[in-house]
Amino acid sequence: MKPFKLKLIYPKWHKLKGQTTFNLPPHGPVAFAATLPEWVEVSFTDENVEAINFDEECDGVALSMMLSTQVKRGWEIAEEYHKRGKLVMAGGISTMLHAEDTVKHVDCVFLGESEGRMEEVMQDWVNGKLRKFYNYMGNMPPIESVGPCRRDLYKRELYNHKGVQMVDLFHASRGCRFSCYPCAVSYLGGRKFRPRPIDKVVEDMAGIDNNRLFIVDNSLAQNKEWEKELFTAIAPLKKKWISHTIEDDPEVLDLAAKAGAWYVYQAVYDTSDYIKERVKRYHDYGIGVEGTILLGLDNQTEDDIKRLIDFLGEIDLDLAEFTVMTPFPHTKGYDDLLRQGRIFDFDWNHYNAGQVVFQPKHMSPERLQELYDYAWKSFYANESQEQKMFRLFCNVALREMEEGTYRPRDRRLANKSFGRDVDRSVRNVNL
Amino acid sequence: MKVSPDYYDEIFEFKGEWDMPSACGLKIRTLGGKPCIIVTELYQDNPGTSVTYAGRSLAEQICEAKGLDMADIVYVECNPNTNSKLSFYDEEYFEVDFDADPQHRYRQLGREEVMKITTK
Repeated sequence: MKPFKLKLIYPKWHKLKGQTTFNLPPHGPVAFAATLPEWVEVSFTDENVEAINFDEECDGVALSMMLSTQVKRGWEIAEEYHKRGKLVMAGGISTMLHAEDTVKHVDCVFLGESEGRMEEVMQDWVNGKLRKFYNYMGNMPPIESVGPCRRDLYKRELYNHKGVQMVDLFHASRGCRFSCYPCAVSYLGGRKFRPRPIDKVVEDMAGIDNNRLFIVDNSLAQNKEWEKELFTAIAPLKKKWISHTIEDDPEVLDLAAKAGAWYVYQAVYDTSDYIKERVKRYHDYGIGVEGTILLGLDNQTEDDIKRLIDFLGEIDLDLAEFTVMTPFPHTKGYDDLLRQGRIFDFDWNHYNAGQVVFQPKHMSPERLQELYDYAWKSFYANESQEQKMFRLFCNVALREMEEGTYRPRDRRLANKSFGRDVDRSVRNVNL
Repeated sequence: MKVSPDYYDEIFEFKGEWDMPSACGLKIRTLGGKPCIIVTELYQDNPGTSVTYAGRSLAEQICEAKGLDMADIVYVECNPNTNSKLSFYDEEYFEVDFDADPQHRYRQLGREEVMKITTK
């Protein structure tokens, strides 16, 4: 069969003002690429790190989109390819969230998870019968069918900062049994936690040519026994990894630490002793903590937000990431704010979790925006985000040296940052 | 976040966005001589689209299944109390006017109005 040349594109988005940008190799496109038939040849461009060559020869184009802030750029890219007579298919998380809008700009929208589906889709494409929709929402493929990603498609040197390779993204499960207020994962991946078989996870993880990973699962704390089994099984790989929340249980935390837990993202939603102790317990096991702080919820007044920001200084966080409440479609937050007539901005480019698009309950949108900016400045006033990252990096490098897994940075790329020349005149990117 | 069965007389299964299998709690009462449809979000027991996102499509599916006239109903969405520590999961009722623009489509009901439609 004649190969079908598919141009796979991950559209760029505007990064948040004033924050350090680390471009991680995206997970969605390479997970999708792994589900394509063998006769499809893929050429991948992540527009965040390289420009798209619209004139590169191809038989068709696929857009993989994760963020709401990517969809409008995706539509522009589709338009460029339409001028060149190419058909464009779109898929991924934000395609699913914004499918009604996206379908007006592309030739085909794929909804759902692509394992076991792409032979049919690509056959239709080759035969000139590509449908407007392939709808597999709520019809999940068996989790056992999720295989290793096509990481061979990455141009590795573009995910390197001053010689340091960025972490690889990895997933050990899909779906989420929680229905958190601002989150759409349970809608997208299903309301059931679907862990991958442990042997598959180990095989997949072992095959990644990177000692540092980010396990991107929504929350690992969904099935304690599976979590314990997972950490026990991956420990011999000696990988170091970042993840979202881990079960607050001494045995699980101990196993996680032994399995290479580097640091976790932990929601800091109030100023309670519970949060303080939670952070301390991670640290007791040598696991770093990046606090994720969501500002603008209805139970937060200005004073609450200021108190929360002050509290962060007391709990010894290694890093903090601030976001403003953003009503992404298919979340309870969206439903609530829509019903209350409080969403005033439906421009998806503004849905970056750093821009206020709704009327907060206890303050003006402008005031919430100021508090958001103040939170970033305040937390990183004495030590920049890059400096704090460097400390975490040193921690992991020391552990790797002890275990004999440390890879020195690539000196050839010491003056490059994500493919671009390093501007040595910039000393503090948070200013 | 299990929703108490007190909120509904039956579970109504419907086609959500992109035909996703979805479910909500359903009660039908009479208010001012009109059928009053009360749909309740089931959170973890709704595998698909929320009642708010499903909106008019859900109302139409209920009317079709129950032989009601869309033009002659009162339609109410219920956010059930889930005994969560978070205030976002407190009980709220909204009357929906599908013909109004999104900013004015929903009207939150007061305690007395809620009593009127939820008491048999």
